[in-house]
Amino acid sequence: MAASLVIARKDLRQRLRDRSALTIGLIAPVAIAALMSLAFRGADTFHYTLGVVDADHGPVAAGLLQALQQPSLRHVVTVRIIPTEADAARQVKGKEVAAALVIPAGFSNAASGTAQTSLRTLSSVNNTIAASVTESIASSFVAQINADRLSVATAIAAGAPSSAVPDLTAAASKLQLPEQLTQRPLGAHAVKAISYMAPAMAIFFLFFTISFTARSFFVDRTQGMIERMRAAPIRPLEILLGKALSVFVFGVASLTAIAVITSAVFGADWGSPLAAGTVCLAMVIAVVCLTALVIGLARTQRQAEGIASAVIFVLALLGGNFIFISVAPSIMRRIALFTPNGWALRAFTDLSTTGGGMGAVVVPVLAILGFSSVVGAGAVLLARRAVTS
Amino acid sequence: MSEIRDPALAARVHLPSPAGAALLSCTSVTKTFGSRVAVDGVSFEVAPGSVYGLLGPNGAGKTTTIKMVCGLLDPDSGSITIAGRSTRGDISVRDLVGYVPQDVALYPDLTAAENLEFLGRLYRLRGSLLAERVSEALALTDLSDRRGDRVDSFSGGMKRRLNIAAGLLHHPSLLVLDEPTVGVDPQSRHAILERVRALQETGMAVLYTTHYMEEAERVCDRVGIMDQGKLIAEGSRRELVARLGEKDRIDLIASGNLEKLAEACRAVAGVEQAAVADGRVHLVAEDGRRVLPALIEAAGRSGVAINSVEVSEADLEAVFLHLTGTALRE
Repeated sequence: MAASLVIARKDLRQRLRDRSALTIGLIAPVAIAALMSLAFRGADTFHYTLGVVDADHGPVAAGLLQALQQPSLRHVVTVRIIPTEADAARQVKGKEVAAALVIPAGFSNAASGTAQTSLRTLSSVNNTIAASVTESIASSFVAQINADRLSVATAIAAGAPSSAVPDLTAAASKLQLPEQLTQRPLGAHAVKAISYMAPAMAIFFLFFTISFTARSFFVDRTQGMIERMRAAPIRPLEILLGKALSVFVFGVASLTAIAVITSAVFGADWGSPLAAGTVCLAMVIAVVCLTALVIGLARTQRQAEGIASAVIFVLALLGGNFIFISVAPSIMRRIALFTPNGWALRAFTDLSTTGGGMGAVVVPVLAILGFSSVVGAGAVLLARRAVTS
Repeated sequence: MSEIRDPALAARVHLPSPAGAALLSCTSVTKTFGSRVAVDGVSFEVAPGSVYGLLGPNGAGKTTTIKMVCGLLDPDSGSITIAGRSTRGDISVRDLVGYVPQDVALYPDLTAAENLEFLGRLYRLRGSLLAERVSEALALTDLSDRRGDRVDSFSGGMKRRLNIAAGLLHHPSLLVLDEPTVGVDPQSRHAILERVRALQETGMAVLYTTHYMEEAERVCDRVGIMDQGKLIAEGSRRELVARLGEKDRIDLIASGNLEKLAEACRAVAGVEQAAVADGRVHLVAEDGRRVLPALIEAAGRSGVAINSVEVSEADLEAVFLHLTGTALRE
């Protein structure tokens, strides 16, 4: 064991002396997580300005405006009154408003009469989400109007005087919209892009340790250092253990530093430190096992680099390090659970959105350790040969 | 490096085996790789305070033999003991061995001292003892003033010397040097050979492989000649040369078809062996001066012009040629 510590210490000294280690272990993951969270900023909250042209000025139009400006919709939509449809079209085109809703003249009268009229939406291909939301609001409002008409007609059929129709119509239009647009966070809190991207990028760059360590192992072997170590009174397993230990220490240090920096600077929510730390440790163990497997499978430095690259990108793509796996198709979400990083990201998402503790990460950690034990068992058999051959 | 008497060396103790007993003993050692027999029934012994040279061409089995001695390979059959302890399965016996591999095995991105400290720790050296041994090894190889410099800034000769220093850190009883002078300039080669002699004088046993005959003659007390995995002769230089009797070694430096010249020389009465190597035809003959006229005549008949002729007493090169029919550096 003492020899393993000596080898790990030497490996870490070499790694820290290599500036690329700092780049891969800290700078790149923090920078890319920050950039990706900026790119995905619209994915965790949505808000837009809706232009409304009220050419009707009747009670139904007033009801619609009131509904659009109700407090529960304020964090989604801001209403801007625009005098004419032409102005609205110009503002949509000029991106001053994301979309516009035109309430035509005679809209209120049509609600209580037989004339046909309709709400019109003006939207741009530049903001399809705003267009969809506006159409949804308009559709639900029209549906309510129709429901109001039905209720007024029912009242008249039941004996209400026809002179009461305007009052009945106005009263019906003041009813709350049956359909409302509300935010639906995954847990108790909405997931922030940085809270997902920080661990995603930290894990992705942690994977590069596999390539780095496997390459350095084969460089050591080519330079005769593995043979020189074996000529000393130590066992081959101690050499492997030393290499593994250096990966472990580097991985833990890298993840810890990224967690601290992204939390302090970008406000990333990694959840409970104990639970997040446990997931990080499990993930580093998985990386150690994957590193040993790559060393065991490869015969040369070039092969090691090739295998490591394949492992890194396949796991990152399948595990969801580049996308929000929670909004991916269900097949992708299922495939992600065959990867340790998929489980880790699931755990970090749960920690961030539910505020859970150790209980939230037990299953993911067990899954990651299960993956590690399978990979590690194969790696021990293969990697010993790499040292002694 | 030219000073042989060195207080640091004199302070060493290398006597783990009883006086007079062999420190290293190889008995009928065989190693095969697939269908190729790399080492075939090799037996030899190395006494404390002696330098044993394994001499042979590339591929003769020298490196495989020393890898078995160092515990890097297990022999298929036979036994290897160091100070009476088998190298098979007992890793503690490696404490007695200092291994200096053929290629420089050091970390280029670490300093000389960092390399030695790392390797010293693998031999459980710690603290002030480690610092003392690192300084001592650097002093022995004249690298004290470069201890803080990265190895990738060293010349080839300096790397070779540091490579040897790394094998001396733990004061081994047996130093195994695998072709330590390959690719080294003459000055560094001289320095390395002087250092080997100096270490031997302290009582350290040295196992030295080379395919340079002159090195073996210069530093080795006993020489084992290996060819195609077999130890074909063994003894002191004097004993080996005596096998040839009154024979001479003749080198013909010629221009033209040397193989044809060698063939013509073989037909000359008194010539025992002829082989081509290093742009020369090497011969072993009964009486060199007597056969010279016939050799020049044979060369003329084969259409090869002889530029110069060297006749010398038999040496290990001649012994190898005599035993194998091939030159050492073919």
